Amino acid sequence: MADQGGSQHGIARTSRVRTEAQRQSDLDRIQKYKDLESQLRSLVQSQGADPQEIYTLTTRLLRLNPEYYTVWNVRRRALISGLFSRPSPGSSCSKASSSFSASDTTTTSTAASSPSSSTAATRPSPPSPTAGRSGTTLDNNTPSENENKEKEKNEEEDLKLLETELNFTIPLLLESPKCYWIWSYRLWLLRQAIERLSVAAAKRIWEAELKLAGKMLSKDPRNFHAWGYRRHVVETLESKALNGTSLVEQEFAYTTRMIESKLSNFSAWHSRSKLIPRLLDERGADENARRGFLDQELGYIRRALNVGPEDQSLWYYHQFLVLNIVSPVGHPTIVPGFSLEDRVTYMTRELEEMKDLLEDYDDEKLIYEALLEYTLYLCGLEGRKPEPEERDDLVKWLTKLKELDPMRNGRWADLERDQALTELLPGVEQGGIPILQR
Amino acid sequence: MTQNPKKLPEKLQLATSAHVKYIQSLDTRKDEYDYWLTEHLRLNGLYWGLTALHLLGEPDTLPRPETIDFVLSCQHENGGFGAAPGHDAHMLSTVSAVQILATIDAFDELESRGKGKAQVGKYIANLQNRQTGTFAGDEWGEEDTRFLYGAFNALSLLGLLRLVDVDKAVSHIAACANIDGGYGVSPGAESHSGQIFTCVAALTIAGRQDLIDKERLGRWLSERQTASGGLNGRPEKMEDVCYSWWVLSSLEMIGKTHWVDKQQLINFILRCQDTEKGGISDRPGDMVDVWHTLFGITGLSLLDYPGLEPVDEVYCMPKSAITRILGR
Repeated sequence: MADQGGSQHGIARTSRVRTEAQRQSDLDRIQKYKDLESQLRSLVQSQGADPQEIYTLTTRLLRLNPEYYTVWNVRRRALISGLFSRPSPGSSCSKASSSFSASDTTTTSTAASSPSSSTAATRPSPPSPTAGRSGTTLDNNTPSENENKEKEKNEEEDLKLLETELNFTIPLLLESPKCYWIWSYRLWLLRQAIERLSVAAAKRIWEAELKLAGKMLSKDPRNFHAWGYRRHVVETLESKALNGTSLVEQEFAYTTRMIESKLSNFSAWHSRSKLIPRLLDERGADENARRGFLDQELGYIRRALNVGPEDQSLWYYHQFLVLNIVSPVGHPTIVPGFSLEDRVTYMTRELEEMKDLLEDYDDEKLIYEALLEYTLYLCGLEGRKPEPEERDDLVKWLTKLKELDPMRNGRWADLERDQALTELLPGVEQGGIPILQR
Repeated sequence: MTQNPKKLPEKLQLATSAHVKYIQSLDTRKDEYDYWLTEHLRLNGLYWGLTALHLLGEPDTLPRPETIDFVLSCQHENGGFGAAPGHDAHMLSTVSAVQILATIDAFDELESRGKGKAQVGKYIANLQNRQTGTFAGDEWGEEDTRFLYGAFNALSLLGLLRLVDVDKAVSHIAACANIDGGYGVSPGAESHSGQIFTCVAALTIAGRQDLIDKERLGRWLSERQTASGGLNGRPEKMEDVCYSWWVLSSLEMIGKTHWVDKQQLINFILRCQDTEKGGISDRPGDMVDVWHTLFGITGLSLLDYPGLEPVDEVYCMPKSAITRILGR
């Protein structure tokens, strides 16, 4: 297995025949690319090579091929080993040699120590030696004036360099928004900001990053790299490392904006569902506030379903709310204080709403699916089998599902078997007589 | 089953020999710029091509000695493999290397001429984040459930799963579960079919399928089939041949492959072939590549398409190789 970088997506099949001129032009490009590559390789292998020179070559190579992960690593090493004001404070990565180097001495210890450093940004108290700048200051209670000046100057230079780096990747990211290596390089830079800069300066950089994540998402609202990236940036901005406070209200409002610009955004609905438990906790919401919140969300999703009942994104969110209604106490839920009676009342009301929806859309299979599922939830809540009237409905809806959605017939057959719906039918012999022949 | 509404022309079938030729030709394209731009995927590409050839019933197409030589030439002192000679070691290429050597029964060469199984195991185990249980891709720390699955896949093939904290990794996967039954790239991330495959397969290797909400996951996965017959990766997205693997193998692992329309999926995959020059694309009429070629073929294999070798739904390798190594 591996990621799909380099594979073709959505590019129309064309004739593979090249003219001789095209072939020659390809060969020229290849030559230039390979020259650049071997130039970099020999530089990395030479003792005492100038990191600045290595760095400049990686810029040229990465512009041609941002998927070349080894070159991103070479660039990191150039930064750590000479361009930043001092070697990486936290990691032994500076010692790791590139496979570009002749004497291949990459050690396992670098690999061993580093994965945890990736979480340093969000960890409240990273174990030494990742304490970084602020740690150095603490160790040294009476820094001389000169040392302070030196430190400030270094920080300024590191800041400049980090900003240059962040800017370098932006056009690459806009061109290849799904390239894992670029995202991962940016995150590494951002962690460097925490290790090398004052909290205030690092915070400004991370805040700018949140804007970038927003920009990427406005270009492609479903890019899950960008959503994951945004989540990570928010988490770090909230962390102690950046003297952060909760951004849950702001992020919740962000999902509302994204949903309102396009209802069919599963990613935004998902993100919303993940934020809600914390949102309510941090609001210190009491029973009433929680009930009010649930009502409001149910109203919100119902209005959406009235416009787009064929949209799976909406149904997954509705399902999330319904599971909050029917789930047992103790689960992180919107209304943990609901009595059984409350749950039954809400479930009954949702079922009525779904039936109303059928009035307008009687051939939308997702409504039938919801009706079936929710009816069984209601029975489960009340610890009973379906009433005769409900049985008729269940059978009717299942019949409709088979008709509207024959692709998933295997699933409907299992549902029929598991719920013993055939046996529930009044006046039908046992033994799998199809409901359709009723 | 109902009648298939989109009946195919009779002659639409798997263009086996064209695909074999296409895969064979991949390493002869050195005069194409793209060949060089994709060098960072060379070892993965070899795994994709080799696996496809084995499933197509042509296991000897790529010469075994050269294959082993190339794989071993990508290995570093620390045991890890880079994508090609001169590329840094990474989890993804290391897993591909192990899968290739496992498929062609060459672990003994790894012992005698390479750095040995134990060193590979050590490289992978060192990438585990012992606090959270998940895995990084390399020393620079990017974490993703893809790497966790890769680690479980390779380590179990090497018989070295004991080198890592399996329980911690399992609880990390559990933390990636969503209320819709699916799994994301990290805790909090939305469900994504590729990530679901990695999590479900890792849980299967760990013997912890009990943690999966199979009903709900099966429902989510079966809704990935669109009117075209193909499968998409997330709600309201376009279908794509590669999900014929990620979605279908996950369904297979939880015993619910029959929740999608197999015939329509077969037809969709077959429509994505370049029957003349070989290879399979993401959607009908698009450019082919070896990645989609493999996952089209593995999908067809899971669907019992005639003439294909069975694929293992957990390891994405020929079932015969998995039986030989794991005895299952």
